[in-house]
Amino acid sequence: MSVYPKVNDHSPFSLRREYISEDGGSMLTPNEQERYDRQIMIGEIGQEGQETLKRSRVAIAGAGGLGSPIAIYLTAAGIGMIRMIDHDQVTLSNLNRQILHWGEDIGRNKVESAGTKLRNLNSAVKIETIAETITEGNVSQLVDGCDVIVDAMDNLPTRYVLNRCAVEKKLPFFHGAVNGFEGRVMTIIPGETACLRCMYRGQVPQEKFPVIGVTPAVIGSIQATEVIKYLVGIGNLLTNRLLIYDGLKVTLTEFSVNKNPNCDHCGSLRRKE
Amino acid sequence: MSVKVHIHTTHRQITNGLEVVEVEGKTVGECLNQLIRQFPEMEKALFTRKDKLLNNVEVYLNHASAYPNELLKPVKDEDEIHLLVMLAGG
Repeated sequence: MSVYPKVNDHSPFSLRREYISEDGGSMLTPNEQERYDRQIMIGEIGQEGQETLKRSRVAIAGAGGLGSPIAIYLTAAGIGMIRMIDHDQVTLSNLNRQILHWGEDIGRNKVESAGTKLRNLNSAVKIETIAETITEGNVSQLVDGCDVIVDAMDNLPTRYVLNRCAVEKKLPFFHGAVNGFEGRVMTIIPGETACLRCMYRGQVPQEKFPVIGVTPAVIGSIQATEVIKYLVGIGNLLTNRLLIYDGLKVTLTEFSVNKNPNCDHCGSLRRKE
Repeated sequence: MSVKVHIHTTHRQITNGLEVVEVEGKTVGECLNQLIRQFPEMEKALFTRKDKLLNNVEVYLNHASAYPNELLKPVKDEDEIHLLVMLAGG
């Protein structure tokens, strides 16, 4: 029995079709056709998948260690619009891992630095930049109009702010986090799968975390893969599955997690019938 | 009856580098208590006080989340417990 390519249950094709009618179609230009030739060759993506990516709008919360590979690969892949959100400025100690930022960028806003590189990488992608701190008060506006939210934050409190917003807006949320040589990834489909808050036990002290650049490179790349899969509607997502990467042992270990009916973020949302 | 407890990287300095410690017990809590008897410093690495796990500690039983009431979950011979630490970096 062939299950290839497998379309997941969360395919946003209906959403995409609405966009097609609004936009009056979004055929690829000859330049884009050539640029994306190798990924259009992938059976699961094809012409239709590439056009879907072009119509998609992605919010990336954080332009640091995780945000760098996520933004680079989604820009290279031809996402229609990417919105980078980060309040911070580039410092020397960022440069071991935040590969969107270079020595010449020290002191610049991270989103400006990122915007410059991403537009040079692929001018066909609309890059929006917002240099603001993400708070409960502004998060809804910051991600307004986006199809998905990608977690590239460096702290848990803001992750929970994003998680709650994603749940309320029913936007897919792509979680990633790193420490040292270890990282984790989980994909959240609000109302259907476990969210980031489902296993919450209370506040965790914020500490300066150790990390080497290759770890967010791996984790961010997996997050970007999840985003592409979700948008195109292919493969099996990391939903209800926490993936743990151990760079020292080079292992990927999967743990199952369950939606918590008493979760203070998503507990009131019902599964789709 | 033996249960394998997989120790997180950050705790292996306490377990003399051991990645897996074999313990016995009928519940996750009993297994962790025996882990602490072997390596007393694991207590403050896992608990804020007796029977109250630190907020950043995650317990998985046979690769499935044991949340909530992790310590009360029954275990059987050859079960595996993974102790993870929540990550916050990006």
